[in-house]
Amino acid sequence: MDTAFRKIDIDAYDEDVLQEEELFDADPRDPAQVLDDAKQRQGAVRSALARSDVAGALNIVLENAPYGPNVEEAKTVTLQTLLTILNTTKATEIPAVIKGLSQDGQDTLMKYLYKGMAMPGWGDVSGSVLLGWHEKLTEVAGTGCIVRTMTDRRTV
Amino acid sequence: MAPEVFNFAQTPITCHAFSADRKQVAVSLNSNDAQIFTRQGTAWTPTETLAEHDKLITSIDWAPNSNRIVTASQDRNAYVWQQTPDPETGKLVWKPTLVLLRINRAATHVRWSPKEDKFAVASGARAIAICSFDPENNWWVSKLLKKPIRSTVLSVDWHPNNVLLAAGSADMKARVFSAYIKEVDDKPAASVWGSKLPFNTICGEYASPAGGWVHAVAFSPSGDVLAFASHDSSISIVYPNGPTIYNIRISSLPFVTLTWTSEDSIVAAGHDCQPVVFAGSEGGWQGVGSLDDSTSAKAAAPRAGVGRLNSAAFSTFRDADTRGQSHSGASAPADTKLLTVHQNTITSVRPYEYGSGGRVVKVSTSGVDGNLVIWDAESVSATAGRLGGMRV
Repeated sequence: MDTAFRKIDIDAYDEDVLQEEELFDADPRDPAQVLDDAKQRQGAVRSALARSDVAGALNIVLENAPYGPNVEEAKTVTLQTLLTILNTTKATEIPAVIKGLSQDGQDTLMKYLYKGMAMPGWGDVSGSVLLGWHEKLTEVAGTGCIVRTMTDRRTV
Repeated sequence: MAPEVFNFAQTPITCHAFSADRKQVAVSLNSNDAQIFTRQGTAWTPTETLAEHDKLITSIDWAPNSNRIVTASQDRNAYVWQQTPDPETGKLVWKPTLVLLRINRAATHVRWSPKEDKFAVASGARAIAICSFDPENNWWVSKLLKKPIRSTVLSVDWHPNNVLLAAGSADMKARVFSAYIKEVDDKPAASVWGSKLPFNTICGEYASPAGGWVHAVAFSPSGDVLAFASHDSSISIVYPNGPTIYNIRISSLPFVTLTWTSEDSIVAAGHDCQPVVFAGSEGGWQGVGSLDDSTSAKAAAPRAGVGRLNSAAFSTFRDADTRGQSHSGASAPADTKLLTVHQNTITSVRPYEYGSGGRVVKVSTSGVDGNLVIWDAESVSATAGRLGGMRV
């Protein structure tokens, strides 16, 4: 059977095709500003961690997390910052920290856990740490949180 | 009162619609035919088959006053069925009337308008066909609502004024349109949704919060409030003045269908296999509990894991797979059953019985497990443990 036609990008011939950027509201902030924010937060997170304030550090990094196109560098910085928090938290502290997060925070944390799991071997990504957090987060926020991670086009 | 459970088939029930007297029900058992079952005591027996479509039937609606059935299908057609006496035998048989839909993708959902002089067909062609009867040619003609729909329309619901229509779509938006047809409708009175309402006026457009397809939309009984359920496991209630939008994120799998039971309560159901009740007012909304009473004897088994996930089923399959163990005892099959009444996704929830003041006192659900269940809409079991993750 001739299957060559399957390789044709038929969307290219459709004037009315749905574009990726129509799927979510863009971040109103300027990419450069988002990057500045991310770097500043890296410092704030370090000082929070020095006070061993894990919940505070997580709140800082999960609030207004960068999403959408053109902010790849800010996303990388944020992921790095988040991984430092995840890796330094004791397993026994995790449930209390997660319960202290807002629903937005929990959803954003789940997005980062999946992003981390999609990049094995990158930076400080440790599969066992991410899975540990994932288990605890699912216990608190439920499967609905995972579904929201899958549907949300505002990828981190 | 315990819910009444009826098993119709081993195949999914795609949709269901009861007749006005509730003695008959039209269902699509995931096939090209719609079947009418008649109630005899506690059993339902198939009495008639509506065969005309040549692809899967996606939606059925039964008009209570004019006793007409409309079916929509993936074959891009809809038919209106009416009971007419057979010329030879004189017996009443269901006869189809053609509908000129003019869509080039599957029809996904269909609903009669409150006055039953129009119906709306949602479709994959980024359009909603508003159909009205043309007596000259003895067929139904359609007018298409197109702008600004960007993707498949998954559900529609009529406002009680017979003019406004809500639609939920895979472009992650719920919208309110005017479906005013000059030949059919009187000028509608001004409402919270607007005053001047020519065809295809957009009276509201609301996005799902975390980018999920909008599976279900419904106007409240007064028509002043809109609720929609989306695939990001959330339900939103919209008050158009403002607009004030209450969004409730749930901790379980997404809802695919919902219905209002009164001005201050909603029943929603879907992939979590149980109907869940939400209650509230313009001041705020919250989850109340489930109609599926998990405290009954059959669910007394210890609950482990997250949500309704049955870890016993998981370990049964794991034992069979990795250890070659199979439970041959009589107790084994019970372990693989879900703790809910429906054993799979609920495809549709609809009002079944009305009480005083127009309150819905019973709702019916149909599921992928082939069951049709009639629930007492007011016996909500407060399930703090079960919906522990649910907050407003």
